[in-house]
Amino acid sequence: MSQTFIIRAIGEEPLLNFRELWAFRHLFYILVWRSLRVRYQQTVIGVAWALLQAILYTFVFTVIFGLIVAIPTNGQPYPIFVMSGLAVWLFVAQAFNQASASMFNNAHLIGRIYFPRMILIFAVIAVALVDFLLIFSVLVALMIWYGVAPTIGALFFLPMMLLAVMTILGLSLWLSALYVPYRDVGHLLPFMTTIWMFLSPVIYPSTLLPPKYQFLYALNPIVVVIDTSRWAFASGPPPQGWMVAVSCGVAVFFCVTGYWFFRRQEATFADVV
Amino acid sequence: MSKIALSVSRLGKWYAVNDLRYRKSLSELVIQMFTAPFRGKEGGRAISQAPNSIWALRDITFEVEAGKVLGVIGRNGSGKSTLLRILARITAPTEGVAELHGRVGALLEVGTGFHPDLSGRENILMNGTMIGMTPKEVRRREDEIIEFSECGDFIDTPVRHYSSGMFMRLAFAVAAHLEAEIMLVDEVLAVGDEAFQQKCKAKIRETALNGRTVLFTSHDMESIKNICQSCMVLDHGKAAHVGDVDEGIRVYRRICGNPQ
Repeated sequence: MSQTFIIRAIGEEPLLNFRELWAFRHLFYILVWRSLRVRYQQTVIGVAWALLQAILYTFVFTVIFGLIVAIPTNGQPYPIFVMSGLAVWLFVAQAFNQASASMFNNAHLIGRIYFPRMILIFAVIAVALVDFLLIFSVLVALMIWYGVAPTIGALFFLPMMLLAVMTILGLSLWLSALYVPYRDVGHLLPFMTTIWMFLSPVIYPSTLLPPKYQFLYALNPIVVVIDTSRWAFASGPPPQGWMVAVSCGVAVFFCVTGYWFFRRQEATFADVV
Repeated sequence: MSKIALSVSRLGKWYAVNDLRYRKSLSELVIQMFTAPFRGKEGGRAISQAPNSIWALRDITFEVEAGKVLGVIGRNGSGKSTLLRILARITAPTEGVAELHGRVGALLEVGTGFHPDLSGRENILMNGTMIGMTPKEVRRREDEIIEFSECGDFIDTPVRHYSSGMFMRLAFAVAAHLEAEIMLVDEVLAVGDEAFQQKCKAKIRETALNGRTVLFTSHDMESIKNICQSCMVLDHGKAAHVGDVDEGIRVYRRICGNPQ
């Protein structure tokens, strides 16, 4: 016999299921492929939608915060400054919202077939990463246009994106599981996203913040991710090591507790969703 | 030969009916069970363990040998779907254990994940993967699936342009080509016009007679008689009979109130 499955009662199934997640990798690929295919097939200008959003935001923010409010930018042109933060932020916002709503949005799948429910979260984060690559190309174009070279910080950018992914994963494990019985989460999400944006240095530099609040600031891991992006692509100052360490701790905390909570809840998603 | 492929021990599933959080879980099944008068001295007591709660399934124990077909019969709301959904791992039981030796394929619903904007071919790949095939397996069987579905001329057209009949045929065709050692099959899946329904039923029987271990539910006693080696009768979430097929059908008819 090839495999033996044991179906256990609620609360008695093993907590760790990494082997099973791997066994369902094909489903992950298919879910990612379906999202991209559906999105870019029906829309008239396809891929351009993701780009257009980033370009419009950059334009509006440049006019309001660059020209009218004149926020200090470490001497960089405001479009480069804001785009190096916005590229990261648009990814965070999209992945966080979609992942947190992923169980609710895929109720029809959850009620009809078995798979480790977490795969839905992985799939929407992967789709958001694809969109991020598109938006990132706008940033690259801007850098070429303004003649800004990347700094040594670029080497740290990928690990920092991993930190962003872990943060989103941890939070959305909690929120997506809570969303199933408590529909209020759906109303909270847009609101939380907006507040989170203002608590992140997207339109302003993190150096504007008084140093005594820095510890609180480090509890939001997206701060150091955006700071690294600015360091790498907009000649900003590098983030402080201790802030990175605190942020990593926060992300790991949410991942571990979120994983635990999600695993304890997922057995009955199909009954409730 | 007599290797056990599927063993279920004291399986039970409990639903809190009036809990707001479980509002959506009030499937037809549970509503029917809740509103149906509880007959029998034992059933009523076991089920009403807490107010506004219900055992959709309780104390179910049985085994199926590899290669054998077990028929599961019972009235609407007797717990058949709950049992199949637990074994398909869509939902977890409240108590008990089930052991499944071999890959499990569930033929309980068709068209899962079908997307109207994708072509028939793309939906075959997607749906096939969702119900448990690898993309490689889907591609290998693609021609067979398309032929069975009788949608060949429109296979690269988005399925939103399909007639409902074509849609159902394609959806069934994918499900019917799932190969697994243990199959959970609900015969209500047979869809479409009469000719295609016959084709579906024949396909389901072929699956059942192909040496696989099958859990088969149907309301058609002829099908049960034809393909099952043993049979379980469910009544209000409990097993009223496990074993001989003819005896099982008699028990079922008695429960339905028409002893013949």
